[in-house]
Amino acid sequence: MAQTAQDDRALRERFERDVLPLLPALYGAALRMTRNPADAEDLVQETYLRAYRGFAGFQEGTNLKAWLYRILTNSFINTYRKKQREPQTVEGPDDADEWYLFDRLGGQNVEGSAEDEVLDRIPDEAVKKALESLPENFRIPVLLADVEGFSYKEIAEIMDTPIGTVMSRLHRGRKALERVLWQTAEERGLVDG
Amino acid sequence: MAKCGPECEETLQEIERFLDHEVDEVIRVRVERHLSGCDDCTDKATFRVHLKALIQTKCAEHEVPEALKDRLRTVLSTPDPGLDPR
Repeated sequence: MAQTAQDDRALRERFERDVLPLLPALYGAALRMTRNPADAEDLVQETYLRAYRGFAGFQEGTNLKAWLYRILTNSFINTYRKKQREPQTVEGPDDADEWYLFDRLGGQNVEGSAEDEVLDRIPDEAVKKALESLPENFRIPVLLADVEGFSYKEIAEIMDTPIGTVMSRLHRGRKALERVLWQTAEERGLVDG
Repeated sequence: MAKCGPECEETLQEIERFLDHEVDEVIRVRVERHLSGCDDCTDKATFRVHLKALIQTKCAEHEVPEALKDRLRTVLSTPDPGLDPR
């Protein structure tokens, strides 16, 4: 059956209805991936177009958010990976240091200043920078799990990576993030180094 | 507080996946049962929950710039939008 103008309009309306509410989350993720607003806008636009083109084949009722993030992640990797020179490994605390941040913050022993309160005092911008400082292989799983709330299985599908790889990168990425957060807290004088 | 025993070790080994809601029912129940009686492990678990929530709130959605919204409205109106309009 040939697609009529009416079909086009219905498709576009459905697309806008379903996809637009996810735009702030997509843009936030694009910012954390590209680390700058101009590239984030281009990445969201590219994702939006690719999604629109594929939307006719998208099964209603399946996971739209995961589908969009898969397009976003692929577009990012294809377009921006080459542009951004960055190390592909993380320097995390070693394996024995499983509770790196907890142990350090717990050692502070400041009256009325529990571990959590120190964390709360780190400004939003600094937490974003900390996440953005992770190499892409670790930043993306942490972003997808901790910011977007995707399951391991969804992340594996989004990143086209085996689930075991997702788990180990997520684990190492989180540990590396703890290390950066600790450095940030130290630099800002929130803790005694 | 009690010294860290084998049960703590076992719990902490599962804690990341437990907090990600990625463990099966048997492990979930075992971890919960241990946490309910162990302050040390509960502190650690609570810390991780808080850390995760912090990252979520501080890094989550960003207000979409008006210029981007305009761009997106325009691209769908173009009959065959090119993939790289730059």
